[in-house]
Amino acid sequence: MTLFDVVFSGNDAVYGLTEKAIDDAIAANGADKAIAFPDTAYSLPCYYAVTGTKIANLGDLKTALGVVKSLMTREQKLNDAFMSGVATALCAEFIEVLKYMDGAAPYEAPCYGHLGDAIIRELGVPLVTGDIPGVAVILGSAPTAQEGVDLVKSYQAQGILVTLVGGIIDQCEELGYKTGANVRVIPLGKDVTSVIHVVSVAVRAALIFGNIQPGDAAGLMKYTMERVPAFVNAFAPLNEVIVACGAGAIALGFPVITNEDTFKVPKSLIVQPDVSKFNPTSLEARDIKIKITHIDIPVAFASAFEGEIIRRGDMQVEFDGSRVDCFELVQTKEAAEIEDHKIEVIGPDIDEMPEGSKQSIAYVVEVAGKSMQSDFESVFERKFHSYLNCVEGMMHTGQRDMIRIRVSKDTFNAGFRVKHIGEVLYAKVKSEFAAVVDKCQVKIYTDAAECTKLRHELAIPAYDKRDERLTTLTDEGVDVYYSCIMCQAFSPSHVCVVTPERLGLCGAVSWLDAKATNELDPQGPCQIITKERVIDERIGEYEDVNEAVRKFSQGALEDVSLYSIIEKPMTSCGCFECICGIEPLSNGVCIANREYAGMTPIGMTFPELASMTGGGVQTPGFMGHGKHFIASKKFMKAEGGIERIVWMPKDLKDQVRDRLNATAKELYGIDNFCDMIGDETVAEDPETLLAFLEEKGHPALSMEPMM
Amino acid sequence: MGDFKLTPIEEMEAATARLLETGKKVGADGWQYRVKNQTPHCKFGETGICCRICSMGPCRITPKAPRGICGCDAHGIVARNYLKFTAGGSATHSDHGREICKTLYHTAPDGAYKVKDPEKLIRIAKEWGVETEGKDIYDLAHEMAVLALGEYGKVFGHQNFLKRAPQHTQDIWEREEIAPRAIDREVSCSLHMTHMGCSSKPEALIRQSLRSGLSDGWGGSMAGTEFSDVLFGTPKPVDTEANLGVMVAENVNIVVHGHDPSLSEMICEYADDPEMIAYAKSKGAKGITVSGVCCTSNEVAMRRGIPMAGNFLQQENVVLTGACEAIVVDVQCIFPALGPLSKCFHTKFITTSPIAQMPDSDYIRFDVGTAAEKAKEIVKTAIDNFENRKPDLVYIPDMKQKATVGYSVEAIVKTLDGVANSYVDEMGTTKPLIECITSGVLRGAVAMVGCNNPKIRPDYAHIELMKKLIANDIIVVASGCSAQAAAKAGLMDKAAKDLCGAGLKRVCELADIPPVLHMGSCVDISRMMVLVAELAKDSGLNISQLPVVGCAPEWMSEKAVSIGNYVVATGLDTFLGVDPYVSGSDQVAALLTDGIRDWVEAAYTVETDIEKLVDLMIERIEEKRKAIGI
Repeated sequence: MTLFDVVFSGNDAVYGLTEKAIDDAIAANGADKAIAFPDTAYSLPCYYAVTGTKIANLGDLKTALGVVKSLMTREQKLNDAFMSGVATALCAEFIEVLKYMDGAAPYEAPCYGHLGDAIIRELGVPLVTGDIPGVAVILGSAPTAQEGVDLVKSYQAQGILVTLVGGIIDQCEELGYKTGANVRVIPLGKDVTSVIHVVSVAVRAALIFGNIQPGDAAGLMKYTMERVPAFVNAFAPLNEVIVACGAGAIALGFPVITNEDTFKVPKSLIVQPDVSKFNPTSLEARDIKIKITHIDIPVAFASAFEGEIIRRGDMQVEFDGSRVDCFELVQTKEAAEIEDHKIEVIGPDIDEMPEGSKQSIAYVVEVAGKSMQSDFESVFERKFHSYLNCVEGMMHTGQRDMIRIRVSKDTFNAGFRVKHIGEVLYAKVKSEFAAVVDKCQVKIYTDAAECTKLRHELAIPAYDKRDERLTTLTDEGVDVYYSCIMCQAFSPSHVCVVTPERLGLCGAVSWLDAKATNELDPQGPCQIITKERVIDERIGEYEDVNEAVRKFSQGALEDVSLYSIIEKPMTSCGCFECICGIEPLSNGVCIANREYAGMTPIGMTFPELASMTGGGVQTPGFMGHGKHFIASKKFMKAEGGIERIVWMPKDLKDQVRDRLNATAKELYGIDNFCDMIGDETVAEDPETLLAFLEEKGHPALSMEPMM
Repeated sequence: MGDFKLTPIEEMEAATARLLETGKKVGADGWQYRVKNQTPHCKFGETGICCRICSMGPCRITPKAPRGICGCDAHGIVARNYLKFTAGGSATHSDHGREICKTLYHTAPDGAYKVKDPEKLIRIAKEWGVETEGKDIYDLAHEMAVLALGEYGKVFGHQNFLKRAPQHTQDIWEREEIAPRAIDREVSCSLHMTHMGCSSKPEALIRQSLRSGLSDGWGGSMAGTEFSDVLFGTPKPVDTEANLGVMVAENVNIVVHGHDPSLSEMICEYADDPEMIAYAKSKGAKGITVSGVCCTSNEVAMRRGIPMAGNFLQQENVVLTGACEAIVVDVQCIFPALGPLSKCFHTKFITTSPIAQMPDSDYIRFDVGTAAEKAKEIVKTAIDNFENRKPDLVYIPDMKQKATVGYSVEAIVKTLDGVANSYVDEMGTTKPLIECITSGVLRGAVAMVGCNNPKIRPDYAHIELMKKLIANDIIVVASGCSAQAAAKAGLMDKAAKDLCGAGLKRVCELADIPPVLHMGSCVDISRMMVLVAELAKDSGLNISQLPVVGCAPEWMSEKAVSIGNYVVATGLDTFLGVDPYVSGSDQVAALLTDGIRDWVEAAYTVETDIEKLVDLMIERIEEKRKAIGI
């Protein structure tokens, strides 16, 4: 049998199963029975992406199976094998969607099954920044559980997102290895068809970020091949169904690495008999480069640990800024004042602290450099949260003098001590900000009295000074804005224009961040945009900005406004934190954040709203944005500003409440504006919302019509 | 990427028609007219049954006169003519190789010619059993040059390079008594055999044709290729452009034409000289553009990215642009027509080799010793001629394509290393290519070679065949005028991957290559021999088992027949679009298309219907796949 014959026969087998499953389902439920995956605006994402057709019920699914059949041609050519691979994947998607009939929850812990759109949007930023350098799909059972877990762990330590299908899930459980989205090891399911749930992620990335039009199968495959750094590790024995699925993966550009002695195809189907070498073999096959920062600490350091949670029982010690005095601070010094890589610990170390106790901590990172500017201090400082979270067995929350840090028992037992916090901060600041930081030293205080003293004498005055500076940072007050095209790796025509009052829609790039990024790499993703030639002050349109946008989008975008969601709104890559959309009945806008799973009064969920925009396309009436932007005086200023906000999820409202109230007070003299804004506890439909707004006397009701 | 489009043959023909109009204005001749004058061709010549090797004749065979005066029948006459034709080609290629060896002998650290790839020299020396340790590279170069020149007249033994072939192939050559001895001897022996009163047995004559061909491909041509690499650098992928649009109206245009890179390399060197560029500017030009025609163009394109103005049947077009200050030629495939044609324009037709002297040319004799001065003199002559240009006659068709060229075997292996996985694969082999073939991602490969021939719509066969092959996941390696046809059409642009089947397209994307690989000039078909030898060794298959075939759809020269013979004798089925004057003998035709398969495991297919030719190749490739169970 040729390789292609194996693919064809695997495809035929899966097709047969699918046909039977659909026929049985129709026989039991009728052709009109609705079917759908939860939390996605993309129907059956793979089928929708390939054909442009949405599927609503079993009858549609049966029709779709006919389309799948047409892909199953049988010439001895790669095209036929690829299409049969795609057909196999589509069949898998059909089988999987049947499991979700009647709103069933077919997967239970630790398996995830279908992944919602929100997860994909969250992955956007770490994927483009390289924090997640790749996506591994591990399929089958490793020769031994230990080898399987070692492989998973090796990817995790590199920050690679790992998805698991089949026996490897049991192997992880057997050895008690922690899995879950928060540690970036996601068991999908035990049936081979569950592999479609990660394919579905890649495919939706193309639709969300890449502006690939549903039905453009060739564009889809080009996008995934060039921009989604995924690969497959398939353990022997491989059956023909797995090979057929593999053909689908390879068609999308994802190489398959296996320990089964089978056909070899360079960079596509690679036989590596030694499972312990799967990791480097796979990275080389997919051209994934791991950014190595060697940090001298006794535990792993990887972005995969960023979401790790340390429970009270697992905790050795806690530094809690809400109870005792703690803070973190970056300070610019003269070069002569700093001894590079000096790490000083002032006070007791962890082994001198009682197990489970609450302690004080303060760390001051002192930096010097010819190009260092004090504006960058807060930029570095905000990264500490991410740096310290990457330490295995360490959890960091909050910022400034409201931090909380937990160190796990395992990490403590591995030898982790206070000075290692200094090592991490030193190594990351030096490597990530090499262009501006020439020298760096870290002082760590655990002496409670010192912490209290320094918090009031050193930290708080520094924060106050910074806040003062921030309030003077307005769009009018600066000479330049910055572009951010970091997301172009995924969303090739999207350009963010970052201004002091409008941070990047992902929430991760403020004007100061962009400025620092520009300083670090003047030819990099953030470049200076002048704002000298105003076209329309009201909507915030500038000739210089338009020129920059045209240039950076390679001509895909003509012109954008900074302050309007109706006229030439700024585009989205797809990884926005929030989306706002017009709610016509109330003459206002609703905002939904990524985390919100429910319905909005617009009649769409976040995934559905989000699918209206993204991919670097302008969609008047919808706009992706960062959370921080909600309280900005420039938030849809052209349409009247924040007064237009009529609804947002309760959680989000709580997060922005103080700042939003302050802005409303300043702009319109309204007290407690947030109380006038509806949320899901008030209404999920426009009529109930309107009644609520009328009762509260919401200002949007009496404003000019937006459209 | 998005705006990539092949240049259709009709567009090229329209450009030629427009140039011929310029020609009419100045009373110029053209091959298009001469073809008409020569048609119909002599049927006796065309079928190979005219014999004029002694003065009793000429004799020609008809049903009424089935034998010549000496009694030789059609089969003897056809086979003899075929061998003579081969010997002509073999002599030509090999003498080119000899010139290169002589140039190597004259290299010096401060001379015009240097050793640019010392590693390759050392590699060949080791292959030949020459001690290299502690030797000055120039001493080694001179020693190797003498040894290489010795290959032409070696007293005993066979060609050194035969050892590069897989053992099975060497065994065949030994068994069939076609392993070539001294290069010159095979040419002499051929001419001896075809003398009046020697061989008239087709088997013997065809056997010697194969041997004489092998002395070219695995002897003279291979020396030409290998030592050119030592002298001028082993080609690696480089971007260039092709078709007449590469000539620049504001610049002094020098066109190099012929085959021997010793001349064209020097011209390129001096055309790049700041002093010369300043001189050109002083004469009112903006700069100097060197472009090429035929195989010397392939040589400098592969090594320097010098653009290709065109191939064999476009040589008159470069003069017809009215913007060619000098067409500088060395040897082979040069139309004597260029002499009278250049007189209709301001163009200087500069001949340089005692081998190729022509009326109506400026003869600036070029030799290794005075290369630098002569090259400078030629460039200067061209610059001085700029002011004589007649602006109203200038028309350069705005037509060119991007091409990535320079795929020597070394470069191909390096490219393959790029797709190998260092944790699994051995580096420096052709194995990744074999894996692509055995898995079916690529169905096979075709070596496209050869000339243009007015009997075939020029370039049409090359381009159409390649288009269909790549659409069927068959990778194409090309050389000579075939390669230039591909480049002119756009098939050597990496963007041409979109014209391929899914398999070849994926290979092009992963390896970052165009679907048609430029392997060099016509002597560089020896590179293709080395490549198939490596593929055979790395796969454990015989060359004849590989799903690889050769094809010369528009061939015309004696060299092409010599090439065909060594390609077939190496084990590759070879497909011709033009009959090699053998249709007058069913015995010889049967031998070439079938009988020799018993000797060398491969044979010719002649099919003048181009559509059928490509289908036959695809069919043969699939047969070969089936035979080895892939």
